[in-house]
Amino acid sequence: MSLILCRQEPVKRPFYFEYLGVRIFSSQELCYVIYNHPLLVLDGFVDESLLEFIREDLDMAFFAAKLEKWQKSGEEEDELLAMILHECDYYSAVEVGRFRQQLAAFRRLPQSELLKQKADFLFQKNQYGKAVSIYIRILDMARTDRGSDSFTAKVYHNLGAAFARLFLMDKACRAYEKSYDLVNNEEVLKKICHLSQWNPSVTPGERFMSLITEELKEVCKEERAVANENAGKAKSLLELENLFQKDPIKRFHGAGELVSKWKKEYRNIMS
Amino acid sequence: MDGLIIGLDLCDAYTRICCHDREKSWSIPTVICKKKDEEAWYIGEEAYAYTLVGEGIIVDKLIKMVRKDGTATLGGTKYEGLDLLKLFLKKIIKLPMEEFFCEEIKELVITMQKVDTKLMDALMYCADSLGIEREKVHIISHTEGFVYYVLSQKKEVWGNQVGVFDLSEDSFHYHELKVQRGLRKMMVIAEHEALEESFNLDILDTPSGGKLADKILSSCADRLLQKKLFSSVFLTGKGFERHDWAKDSMKVLCSRKKVYMEPELFARGAAFKGMDYLQDNSAYPFVCICDGHLHSTVSLRVLHKERESQLVVAAAGDNWYEAKSSVDLIVDKQDYVEFMVTPMDPKQKRMVKIPLEGFPNRPDRTTRLGISFGFLDEKTMAVVLKDKGFGELFPATDTVIRQEVML
Repeated sequence: MSLILCRQEPVKRPFYFEYLGVRIFSSQELCYVIYNHPLLVLDGFVDESLLEFIREDLDMAFFAAKLEKWQKSGEEEDELLAMILHECDYYSAVEVGRFRQQLAAFRRLPQSELLKQKADFLFQKNQYGKAVSIYIRILDMARTDRGSDSFTAKVYHNLGAAFARLFLMDKACRAYEKSYDLVNNEEVLKKICHLSQWNPSVTPGERFMSLITEELKEVCKEERAVANENAGKAKSLLELENLFQKDPIKRFHGAGELVSKWKKEYRNIMS
Repeated sequence: MDGLIIGLDLCDAYTRICCHDREKSWSIPTVICKKKDEEAWYIGEEAYAYTLVGEGIIVDKLIKMVRKDGTATLGGTKYEGLDLLKLFLKKIIKLPMEEFFCEEIKELVITMQKVDTKLMDALMYCADSLGIEREKVHIISHTEGFVYYVLSQKKEVWGNQVGVFDLSEDSFHYHELKVQRGLRKMMVIAEHEALEESFNLDILDTPSGGKLADKILSSCADRLLQKKLFSSVFLTGKGFERHDWAKDSMKVLCSRKKVYMEPELFARGAAFKGMDYLQDNSAYPFVCICDGHLHSTVSLRVLHKERESQLVVAAAGDNWYEAKSSVDLIVDKQDYVEFMVTPMDPKQKRMVKIPLEGFPNRPDRTTRLGISFGFLDEKTMAVVLKDKGFGELFPATDTVIRQEVML
């Protein structure tokens, strides 16, 4: 339990972290992003724009020069990340050590697995566009590098889910179909059924039409009804209702903020 | 000299003004008068003169008027006390500026019997409208003015206790200081007492009144100076402009100590303080505990470079009006802020906890807490805790906690 004293940082131009679609305004935020999103900072994070941010905006010119020198000498990028964490006095030495171990564990993973974990992480953060491009990158890899059929099926499955979140239903359906082709998973079939019910313009391939039984359709219908009911009780919907009960000035102001938030989220989702 | 360092002793009865390193000083009644038929303003004796011949309307007790948000109607126009004070200050500050052919004010230190936030804010407002930058304006108590005056004298003057009797038309005050030599820093402890035995100075005009006044002063001196070792005693204020009435008191006062008359003691002390503001290293390396200064140190336990330390937000001896600060901290696994208040007697040290009620629940170390401190008087600290969020990762909310802490 403590209060950490913050450095005074004259940040005029925040550092834009594309993966999360957020701007970083302090050394503490920079450390937080690095520590909590190791998969997103593994490759190419320490670049010229970050060094400039550290040098100019965080007012750590000496440290930026040190990083630059280490980078030029071909030092491992992981070490540069640990140096940033260490220098900014936001995480303890023990935590920085733990971070180093985590990076080392990631480095031991096969490339396809590492990429999948990164894409899954982006999916969790609602960054569907970025996740899709990484799933496709994995699928573009040579079959031997990609891994087992089971692994590929999982990638196709997650790709389908990401497409669905981007409202690209046809593409989602095709990805699910490929996943099913590889492992014949009933859950995947159910998702194909859901997609076709939710969006009638989506037509699964003939083989799948025959696989989707009346019984499965009924189960999907029931699940959708439950999901619709739950959606009606969603916290965000309640907040919206509360907003519309406020006086016109507060409502207008709140609506403006909400629309800006949605726009930002949408841009992040799609990019 | 490029600019003037002004010491201004502002009281309801008389105002005294002097400049550092300049002998000439002015002492004028704190009154302002407006001519009946024109927009002309006069202060001091001139104001009395125009009023006596029936050409002007006079207003007195300006300080009291400002404190009470009072107004005065002059020639059919209603004036706020603050506006009249502003006009008065403008006129009085002009006196040394014209005398010394100087248009710049380097420092203006105003000393008053009683300093409170309202009056300080009012004086700062006056300074703004007079075009004097706020950084150059300081407001101190009479006690502090006394401390600076005394410590600017030779050491033999303040080797032991020092006292000052301030006898003016509307009050009788006694101030006392003692220098304590510590291992690290010298400490000056100064106190003041408003004496109940105050009397109207008009009684000094009659022999019987003078005798009564002498008796009052000698009994006060007897009570206040006994059993203590004094190096010197000062006499100041309108009442001591003549001292033929104080024959018996002088015997008591002059016993085993030196007695000095200094009519502009507080204004001179203020000017010394003004000079000190301009120095890179203070010529008065002491902690001053007196009216207008904090008597306790307030600190926060913080983590810096993985080490716990006490962050002092205000130290004993700081001028409470000027002791304002703000700091950003990151909250790690705790839902409160705890201050340590250390008075002069460290045994009375205590902790003051302020819970962060209404702050959003976030992961550890993702709430930046903006803490601002200020003082409403020397015993009341005002704290504002603000949720600053954590950039765009955890946006700030409007949550603000305001709390007053009694020191």
